[in-house]
Amino acid sequence: MKKEIVIKHLGFVLLLNGVFLFISFLISFFLQETSTLALLFSSLICGIFGIFPLIFVERTEHISFSEGLTIVVFGWIVTCIVGMLPYLMWGGEFTLANAWFESVSGFTTTGSTILNEIESLPKGLLFWRSATHWIGGIGIILFVLLILPQSKGQRITIYNTEISSLSKMNFRFKARKIVQILAIVYISLTLLETISLMLLGMSFFDAINHSFATIATGGFSTKNLSIASFNNIGIEIIIMIFMILSGIHFGLIYGTIMLKKENLFRSSLAKTFVFVMFLGIVLVSLKLYLSGNYDFWTSVRYASFQVISLGTTTGFATEDTAHWPIFTQIILIYFTIQCAMTGSTSGGLKFDRVYIFFKLIGKQIKLLKHPRGVFVVKFDENKIDEKLEQQTLVFIVLYITVFFITTMILTSMNIDGMTAFSASIATIGNVGPGFEKVSSLGNFALIPDLGKYVLSVNMLLGRLEIFNILALIMIKK
Amino acid sequence: MKKTLKLKIFASFMLLIAMLAVAGTISIVEFRWLSKSVHGLIQDNYKSIEASKTMIEALEREDSGILLLLLGEWEEGREILNSADSLFLSAFETANNNLTEKNEVDYIKKIESAYQTYKSSWERPIVDTDKQGNISWYKDDIHKKFAETKFVVNELMSLNQSSMYQETSDLKDRSKRAIMPGIVSIIAALVFSLILNFFITRYFVNPISELAEAVNNYRDGDNKLRSNITSDDEIKKLELAISGLLQRIDNNNNTIRK
Repeated sequence: MKKEIVIKHLGFVLLLNGVFLFISFLISFFLQETSTLALLFSSLICGIFGIFPLIFVERTEHISFSEGLTIVVFGWIVTCIVGMLPYLMWGGEFTLANAWFESVSGFTTTGSTILNEIESLPKGLLFWRSATHWIGGIGIILFVLLILPQSKGQRITIYNTEISSLSKMNFRFKARKIVQILAIVYISLTLLETISLMLLGMSFFDAINHSFATIATGGFSTKNLSIASFNNIGIEIIIMIFMILSGIHFGLIYGTIMLKKENLFRSSLAKTFVFVMFLGIVLVSLKLYLSGNYDFWTSVRYASFQVISLGTTTGFATEDTAHWPIFTQIILIYFTIQCAMTGSTSGGLKFDRVYIFFKLIGKQIKLLKHPRGVFVVKFDENKIDEKLEQQTLVFIVLYITVFFITTMILTSMNIDGMTAFSASIATIGNVGPGFEKVSSLGNFALIPDLGKYVLSVNMLLGRLEIFNILALIMIKK
Repeated sequence: MKKTLKLKIFASFMLLIAMLAVAGTISIVEFRWLSKSVHGLIQDNYKSIEASKTMIEALEREDSGILLLLLGEWEEGREILNSADSLFLSAFETANNNLTEKNEVDYIKKIESAYQTYKSSWERPIVDTDKQGNISWYKDDIHKKFAETKFVVNELMSLNQSSMYQETSDLKDRSKRAIMPGIVSIIAALVFSLILNFFITRYFVNPISELAEAVNNYRDGDNKLRSNITSDDEIKKLELAISGLLQRIDNNNNTIRK
């Protein structure tokens, strides 16, 4: 493996972070905030380490698979390390463990926070916090692919490692075109949401920050009470619409706008995704209403927001779900496990895998009836070959194993069962909030430092997909 | 621009210097702010807190003086009242000249007004009047005014105390902010050195070793200088120069042989 190529590409990742850090610095500088110097120094560090490899490393024409994999995995790790610098240098509630947790949570679009007093943060730092979502949402590496002025071969190797094979199914284009489509949809949705929120009375700063967090399916808010702080049904509806759009395969959104064959209305997967969410909303609303928690329309309002927020792995909140009936919490936990569609900005298990899993159950039942029969699992006209079937099952087992182990580790630190369990699922699924002590309007400040590091690993595993990390370790060996 | 070895080394060190210079400047700025804040903390809040304490002490002494007057001790009572009054006014003057907090002026005005009302009650004769020995008058009028004045002075003290507490926690944060660029720079410089070492080995040392090996191979019988230097810098120039030299020696040997 050519280390210099890896270092050079990690440099590009740092330069991209440097640009967003510099914008955050400018905000702090003009508002004369206490975070000005911390943001300036962090952007300078990114700039220096980004430019440094360019001095030495010449143009490269080819990147091997292991180099591509190393760039992707280390790209995320390096990004998270530089992402915590402004937090760490600014101080406040940010200890080393807290700064690392907040940075990983931002870039992996998890949205879990350790902050008790979000509104006391300087605006420059708040912007950086939301920017980490936006950078991480599309995938830091795809950003680099967009700006990479190099050969086609190189681009494809990195692209194949960053985008799972499932995500590619709804795309009928070449790698470069897919990256462009992802970027166009991503930026357009962000702009549209920002404008819509501003029209509903949100300030430009809050609107852009919440758009970053929504489109990236992140969940960081600029308010202590998240979306509940606005208490505006119009804002909630806009955010719900954009949360659903961000949880759907971007190729399908592009196909719908461009009137192509692969569009939202023809995709059985997308239709099932929305239907399952609708079913969840109905069940949670009814339970909340019948339990006497709220009147009917308030139940529908809160249930819709929470189901969509967790079902798309965003993690915004309009109500504290910790006090909701256990039946509704179980449904919300299901959505936390299920996550959103591949090809979207969400992380975690992904709805597509759950869908394939249920299709495979059907296939197994048919095989019991006709042991010699040949049955093919299909979705959206895509045949699922046995290799992908196996990969999906192994992934689900690995996923469950990881959150089971994490739950055990957390409970060994005397954290109560529900908090440990929901925190593990919420972090590996890149969802954000859990229940009990880490509920929708709560935070992760009470988790011990070691627990925060364990949950950070969870978030990275959820974002990078466990296979990539395993492949890197196996190839190295 | 042609990236020569000289330029590469120069650029690397310039980047390192830039990082350390900015880290140093940030630390200096933060430490200067820190020293100003410590000075300000003493100047701004501590002075007012001390003045408030003195005013409370003066008020309590005045209260004792009034009690002595009630008992008919005119000389001793008036002496205590006069000295306590000048002590109060001097402390009040200090607080009045040290307005550093938002709305502090309102507290000063309140103290001034409350004290004037209180003072007007005991300034007039007490001994040999109907007020001497009149406990109800003391309880209903004097003590009430004393408590009100003491309350507003306490409010001024609380204002400065909470501000001082806030400043102290800000100072803690600022001192951390002053130290952090140094710590980050040290770690960054270490990582930078490791990467620089890797690049120097990869782009300087390895090509030179390769060139030396190629010259050795030529000496041992290779008919051509075989090296694989792809860079466009001084090492490539050296390779071309050695190659030219060997070519010339070859040509001379061939001429001599002929």
